[in-house]
Amino acid sequence: MQGKITRSALWRFLAVLAIHGTLLGAAQGAPQSGGDYSTNPDAKKLPTETILVKGAWSSASDAVTPLPEGGRVSRNVYNNAYFGLAYPLSPDWTEKYSGPPPSDSGYYVLAQIRPADTFTGETRGSILIAAQDLFFTLAPAGSAFELINYTRDHLNADYKVERPPTPVTVAGRSFVRLDYFSPVAELHWHVLATQIRCHMVQFVFTSRDTKLIENLIQDMSAISLPPEAGAIAGTGGGDAPLCIKDYARDENIIERNDPVFTERRFNSVPVRIIIDKEGKVKHIHFLSAFPDQAKAITDALAEWRFRPYLRNGQAVEVETGIIFGHPPRLAAPPPSPAVSE
Amino acid sequence: MKKIRLAVFLALAAAAFFPSIACSQTDPGVRSGPINGQSGATATSPLPLASVAANSPTGSLEFFQNGLARFQEVEVVSGGANNGLGPRFNFNQCSGCHSQPSIGGSSPAANPEFSVIANGIASGSTNTTPSFLTSTGPTREARFPFFFNSNGNPNTNAPNGGVEDIFVVSGLSGAGNCSLPQPSFAIAQSTNNIIFRIPTPVFGAGLIENIDDSTLIAVQAAAAGNSLGISGTFNHNGNDGTISRFGWKAQNKSLLLFSGEAYNVEMGITNEIFGQDRPLPGEDQQGSGLPANCLNLSKTGYPEDATNFTVATNADPAAQNAQVPSDIVLFAEFMRLLAPPTPSTTTPGGAASITRGQSLFSAIGCATCHTATLSSTQPSNITSSLGSAPVGAFSDIEIHHMGTGLADNVSQGGAGGDQFRTAPLWGLGQRIFFLHDGRTTNLLTAIADHSSNGSEATEVEENFASLSSSQKQDLLNFLRSL
Repeated sequence: MQGKITRSALWRFLAVLAIHGTLLGAAQGAPQSGGDYSTNPDAKKLPTETILVKGAWSSASDAVTPLPEGGRVSRNVYNNAYFGLAYPLSPDWTEKYSGPPPSDSGYYVLAQIRPADTFTGETRGSILIAAQDLFFTLAPAGSAFELINYTRDHLNADYKVERPPTPVTVAGRSFVRLDYFSPVAELHWHVLATQIRCHMVQFVFTSRDTKLIENLIQDMSAISLPPEAGAIAGTGGGDAPLCIKDYARDENIIERNDPVFTERRFNSVPVRIIIDKEGKVKHIHFLSAFPDQAKAITDALAEWRFRPYLRNGQAVEVETGIIFGHPPRLAAPPPSPAVSE
Repeated sequence: MKKIRLAVFLALAAAAFFPSIACSQTDPGVRSGPINGQSGATATSPLPLASVAANSPTGSLEFFQNGLARFQEVEVVSGGANNGLGPRFNFNQCSGCHSQPSIGGSSPAANPEFSVIANGIASGSTNTTPSFLTSTGPTREARFPFFFNSNGNPNTNAPNGGVEDIFVVSGLSGAGNCSLPQPSFAIAQSTNNIIFRIPTPVFGAGLIENIDDSTLIAVQAAAAGNSLGISGTFNHNGNDGTISRFGWKAQNKSLLLFSGEAYNVEMGITNEIFGQDRPLPGEDQQGSGLPANCLNLSKTGYPEDATNFTVATNADPAAQNAQVPSDIVLFAEFMRLLAPPTPSTTTPGGAASITRGQSLFSAIGCATCHTATLSSTQPSNITSSLGSAPVGAFSDIEIHHMGTGLADNVSQGGAGGDQFRTAPLWGLGQRIFFLHDGRTTNLLTAIADHSSNGSEATEVEENFASLSSSQKQDLLNFLRSL
């Protein structure tokens, strides 16, 4: 018995020694997995061609309310519920690449349309559908018409204006049209813009072939737009809230609670909010914000109370813009009011 | 004779059946001729700014030359003339990686990192050369976008993004018993958890440093009405909130900061800005830090690079003065006083082609981000060439979304995983490797890679695609003239 105990104790001792030796070896040899190291030959692969680490990005307080960047091409129609827009694409045209996220100055690439692989035309072309939030534009422009004038005024010497900003009608709605041309590149740009919900919404047709462009513009007659769309109007209403620039000014705010940011950042955080008929914030759209910023602003806006906006004696929903964070330094004086009450 | 007739027949047949090949545009390749387009410049003696060449103010030329010399110093762990290398590093000399087409440039044709072990800069008993370094590939630093978790999987909830130095000093005579392993590069590669950066050229960097924020903001505003799908923003310095401008994501504010960071991160040399030996990001995350026997291997105390209070007497006061500042100050001074490259007006392709190419570059929208000239720098208190001068860097210094094709999933300052500073293009004609990771040596590939899901440059790339072959060739000639 005694001998057995002794042998058992010896085996236990040797086992402990072996484990200890293994651990000691590990500590002095290759590091274990974690941090900068992996010893797992079957470690999971990360997806390629994927943006996993986003900086300041767009987000919203709910997943139901339509957003400007939420449009999609489906069954050869570009649909955008936020702008009430449905644009049937010409046959053999499609979207190859999606655009970047909204910028911190309120610019959206809504869709980039290209000839599909089935396209048999001789010359190529492209259709860019873009939007600029007139609440946050860096240009001193308060309407789609003014913004297109700004575009014309800032064309460099490489371009020749073929048609200065001119009012036109497309699908029963007023647009402003600007045509310009690069003699050296032999490329034409035809820009048609209208205003919806205090955004300039533009269609940019680019090609060497003006006939192709004109055919594409003719096809725009099938586009569906909300009644408000217009080159100098477009202030919401109907099914959409009214949009009012700077509604979040002191005289309209009954209660406010400034967000408490936990990190010191220097980016501009443009935010569109919808205020319900009782003066509460119903919806928040962050055009460009880090997650911690969006959370702090969401928490704060939950406490805000506005004076309800009355139209014809009735309270109506209002959409407005606020810049949190670090407002951009503007090169020119602030734009004239995009829309006033 | 029969052979000649057959060859002619085959050539004509090829031209008839493959006209696109016969007429297609090609990248002219690295431009020959004077280095940096400057008469008198050599691979080891790049030219300073004109006022510095004239030694105005007095002493500036000596500081430039001293900085150039320090830029070439070979660092060792201890016991040499220049100590402090490690405990981890990517190379042992600034000019080793910043050398194409001259000192101050970017990645050279022969990759010096590939020969680190063969040349005894690192010990082969404690280091292996990762497969992403090749003899003719770009010099690289590596970063892991995410930390590995305890199971060895990349953890997307734990962003990393810091530099994972490639080599360790362990096994070298000066390293004592400091025993460090290299990071898990092979598994990082197999799991797609690694990205690369190549050196940014620093020619003309003093001009970029001296641009007032308001100039950059005005350029941004002027582009606000573009019809190209472009809308960039700026990265900012975390201390004072002003626009930062150096590095692939414009994460660094100044050349001094740039120098101090590189000295510590790329070579492991502590200095007057970064005064502690730097652990790997994971060692920092997990709190272990560096082992005590790997600290201050130079045995000089901290920082390893410091102001030289006592210097050798020199009859030339400027030469004596230039010995006083620490290395990082002189590195910064060298970069600050280094002349921008001079573009060729005739090579490649001839003057007419280059002129047409420049117009095309602007017309199709490249210049919306690659702004040819920023109007003027601030008045300079350093040297007259830096003051009130145009900056022909072909960059707006903004950061732009470049989409899934170029995204590296590294966040730096305000820049997210797919945002990059508009790379200055001056000097492009004599560069070998392109894009942040040096993935290509072909300009056509670099241009095509500007287009992908989420990129601001997709419209412009489409405009480029719509050009004729001869127009594309003009544009390529222009780029190689820079």
